Order: sequence, then structure tokens, then C-alpha cells
Amino acid sequence: MSCIEARSISKSYDGILAVDSIDLSVPTGKIFGFLGPNGAGKTTTIKLLTTLVPPTGGTIRILGMDAISNPLEVRKRIGVVLQQPSYEPTLSVEKSIEKYAMMWNVDKKLQKDRMEDLLLAFDLQDIRKKKNDDLSIGHRRRVQVAREFVHDMDLLFLDEPTVGLDPSARRSLLDYIKKRVREGLTIFFTTHILEEAEYLCDEIAIINKGKIIAVDTPAELKNKFGREKTIKIHIDTIRKDLSVLLQGIRDYQIDYNSGTTITIQSHSSENILLKILKILTVNKIPIEDLSVVPTSLEEIFLTMVKNSNVSSD
Amino acid sequence: MYPVIRLVNRNLTISLNMGFLIWQVVFPLIYIFVAGFAYTALIHEVPFANKRLDYPAFIASGMIGFNIMNSTLVSGIIIWNDRRHGMFEQILVGPFTRTQYILSNVYTIGIIGLISAGLITAVGYPLFFESVEFNILTIPLVVFASITGSILFGSIASIISTRLKSSEGFNVVINTVFLFFAFVSTAFYPAEGAPKILATAFYFNPLTYLVDVVRAGIFGNFNSFVGLEMLVLACGSAVLFVIATKLLSKLEL
Ligand SMILES: Nc1ncnc2c1ncn2[C@@H]1O[C@H](COP(=O)(O)OP(=O)(O)O)[C@@H](O)[C@H]1O
Ligand SMILES: [Mg+2]
Repeated sequence: MSCIEARSISKSYDGILAVDSIDLSVPTGKIFGFLGPNGAGKTTTIKLLTTLVPPTGGTIRILGMDAISNPLEVRKRIGVVLQQPSYEPTLSVEKSIEKYAMMWNVDKKLQKDRMEDLLLAFDLQDIRKKKNDDLSIGHRRRVQVAREFVHDMDLLFLDEPTVGLDPSARRSLLDYIKKRVREGLTIFFTTHILEEAEYLCDEIAIINKGKIIAVDTPAELKNKFGREKTIKIHIDTIRKDLSVLLQGIRDYQIDYNSGTTITIQSHSSENILLKILKILTVNKIPIEDLSVVPTSLEEIFLTMVKNSNVSSD
Repeated sequence: MYPVIRLVNRNLTISLNMGFLIWQVVFPLIYIFVAGFAYTALIHEVPFANKRLDYPAFIASGMIGFNIMNSTLVSGIIIWNDRRHGMFEQILVGPFTRTQYILSNVYTIGIIGLISAGLITAVGYPLFFESVEFNILTIPLVVFASITGSILFGSIASIISTRLKSSEGFNVVINTVFLFFAFVSTAFYPAEGAPKILATAFYFNPLTYLVDVVRAGIFGNFNSFVGLEMLVLACGSAVLFVIATKLLSKLEL
């Protein structure tokens, strides 16, 4: 069964489409990654799905309920960590988690147990008595994420939860999320960091300029788009005449940062390489260095975003 | 527990701190005991209805209204802080509605208003006990004033907190408005005897109505003018509450 079913949802702010008629289908018990550059529409999508703002158009079903006509019933069963910080400045870490549990009507005894688990899992024991106002941004973010796990929920939205965390806190958060998903939670996770999505998610949707440009498993995405290879040829001297010499050859770029670098990026990089090498040899241009870069998801992502920008401009 | 009560619980937890208690209790005490007695040398007695009050009794009763007004700053501060620190959105993606959020603020200031009115009444009692004329209307009048006053000033504080963007702006505006309310009112001096312009200005100020109704309750002086003032309080608080609610529910997220 689907946990989230959204059909052609849109949101415009003053005539600008922040989310442009997207469809989403998130299966229960999985981690769904929502990946996109800044300003792509990730936060807006989360605000629509969590009933914080009404969509300009489209339909949303969350946990089988119509989110537009039953927003409160939906909110009772989801957890949300928004992108912006949220904290009670005057309360201690402990007190603020305790009060948050109270707001969610969590049984006192259960709340006490969960609090200890969370303080441990998020490594907050040393700062449990500190006021939220006095915390570093990273600590505050950890408290905000930890706090959300104090109440029961079937579906959790996390909007760039790892921003501001150091690498080890980041890793433990991702592992904690994995653990909770094994126990039955469904997670909708946004990030602009591809590695994270790759490490964590069962399925990834890539969004750019309010539109979804690809949805698949990380492995499939690599398989589909990862056949491209990148080859770099470095030449010691600056050869401004190269673009004339290489006329007629496609899918390469030249830059002159230190010396001259030719970057080939294509499904048939090898063929292009052969052609270029021939021209270089004929013109007696010595090659300093040659390297092949395997395509990472990062590059697929950047290429896709770039292509989608070009086609929409 | 009901959602609104859970929100009130949280509101009280974040509002009741040392700074607030000082603001709520110590300031009025200074006004009553320092200003009250210091000015006695200048002001021997204050005409009030058909009796003459000494100044400490007059100011102590005025402080009840003043304190109700001050306690409502809490609602503005809660909304302001919630918006600034992201708790407003966080609550609204939780198991609550905007209406419940607004109601919880009203209940919070109602509770704080009533408690501080009670506190100042208890503390001020030795000063005005000679003149008090408690009767069947005393408690209804004081409670009416506390509730309508809380809603009225709470709405003003909420309106300010939803309209302003910078925290400096919020502090300046809210302090200026409340300072005007405090000193251009009958809390510190009677309208009778004040220059005509000032006396008129007093009645453009909701605190005057609030203080007048409280005094009418304490000194047993209910008349048709006080009835009219109660009507103004009731209508004013209703209108401002509707405006505050509208603004808060329209707040873009
Ligand atoms: N409240 C708002 N008012 C006007 N424009 C907004 C608002 N929120 C977001 N936008 C615009 O919508 C677009 C998508 O923003 P957002 O959803 O925050 O992207 P992301 O989370 O992917 O970085 C951006 O161009 C942003 O400027
Ligand atoms: Mg965002």
C-alpha cells in the first residue's frame, strides 16, 4: 500500500510555480529520497504533503486519508522535521523534549524511556541540562530531530535533517533512521546531498524547478544514466587554437585553468577520445595526463539538473 | 488531555520564568509601595465617586488593571517567539489547529491575568481595606474586567506580533503602546481634576475602562457609567479578538 499518493500537485507563490504538477507515490515501510538543488521545491512539497500550506491544485492522500479535507487527522499520524530550526529557547534540552511529548499526549512513563533512548542515540546526554538558546546550531538540529521521535507516528517527513551536522553525527542519524524504518516507519527524506540519498534511500525522486525529472532506485538510476564516462586530457601549455583543431567533434569541453584540459563526457567517450588523440598527434601536441572518471550519482544528478534547466529555458 | 489544555500547559511552562515574575510582581509592588507612599506627601486624597481615597489605596487598585494589561504581553511574546524560533510552524504540523493555538493563548493570558489580579489584590488589600466595599458585584466585576481586559490587550499584543518582522521593532512598538496605555489612563491618577484634554485622552485608552471597572468592584460603586464602560470593554475585546484571529490565521507559512 502507498503511504503517500499525490496527483498533479502544484503550488504557486505570486504567480511563480514552486511546485509544478508533480506526482508522488511512496510505498509503506520505505525511505523515499527527495533530491534536488536549492530552490527546487523540496520544502514546498513537504509543506504541501504535511498540510501546512494548501496546494494550488491537485490531490493528496496520506496514509489513506484525503489530506486536503482531513488535515488534522493526517497530522495526528505523521512526524515532521522542517528545514527551518524550531526550538523553545528558554527550556533545557530535556525539558523541551518532555514538553514536546506532553503536547503529543505521550504517556509519562513511555516518554521517560523514550527520552533516555533518544538522548543516547543522538549523543545528547552531555547537554541534556543546557538551554536550547545556548546550543550550537548542530546540537540544536540534533535536538530538533531527536524530539520528533518521542511521539508515535506512521510516517515521518525530514527536510534536510543533516544540514549543520558533523560527519559522525550525520552518519549516526542516517543509521538511526535506517533502524526505525526496519521497525516499520516510512520516511520521506529531502536532501541536496546525493551520497546521503544513495546511502539511505530505497527510492529517489529528483526534482528541479518544481518538476520531477526522474524517479527510481539508486541502482537503477546509476544503471540508466551511469553509462556515460568522463575522460580528461591534460596538456601543459595553453592552446587556444584547440577549438579550431577539434572542429566537428562533439561532447567535449575545454578549459584553461592550468594549461589546457579537455573533458569528454558521453556514452561513447572512447570513440571521441580516439578522434581527439589523432588530432593531437598530428599537430604534435604532447599529452601531460589522461584520466578516466567513473560516473557517480552526483554527476548523473548534476547532468540531469543541467539538462532539465536547458530544456526549460 | 485536550489539545488546547496541552498547549496552555506548554505556554505556561515557557512564560513563567524569573524575569516574568519580576515584571509581574515586583514592578507593581514598587509602584504601590514606593510611588504610592512617596506621592502621599503631594496627593493627600483622591476623590472617587462619593468617597475620598488615600493615594496608596487608589494606586493599588489601579495596579490590578495595570497588571492584567501587562500579563497579556505574554500572548504577544509567545506568538512572536513561536514565529521567530519556528515553533509556530512546528505546532501547526502537529496535532493542533490554528484555532486551538489561538484559544490556548487566550486561556493562557486569562489564567495569568486572573492570578496576577488576585496576587495584587491580596498584596494591595492592606492599603485599601479601609475604603473597600465588597458586595455581590465585586467578584463578578473584577472577573469580568480580568477576562475582557486579557482578551482585549492580548489581542492587541497578538496583532502587533503578527504585523512586525524585526525583533527590535516588536519590542519598541509593544513597549511604546503599553507605556502609553499605562500612563495616559486612570491607573495612576483620576480623570477628575486632570486637564480636559488629558481626561478626554484617558477615555481613548482601554486600560482606563479596565481600571474603572475593577475600582467599581472593589469600592462598591456600580453605576450606569460603569455599565457603559463594561459594554465598551466587551465590544472592544470582541472586535480586537476577531481581528487578531483573522490576522493569525492568514499568516503565510
Ligand atoms: N513563502 C514563499 N513565498 C514566495 N516564494 C516562495 C516561498 N517559499 C518558497 N518560495 C519559492 O519557491 C521555490 C522553491 O522553494 P523551496 O521549496 O524552499 O525549495 P528547496 O526546499 O528545494 O530549496 C523557490 O524559488 C522559492 O524562492
Ligand atoms: Mg528547502
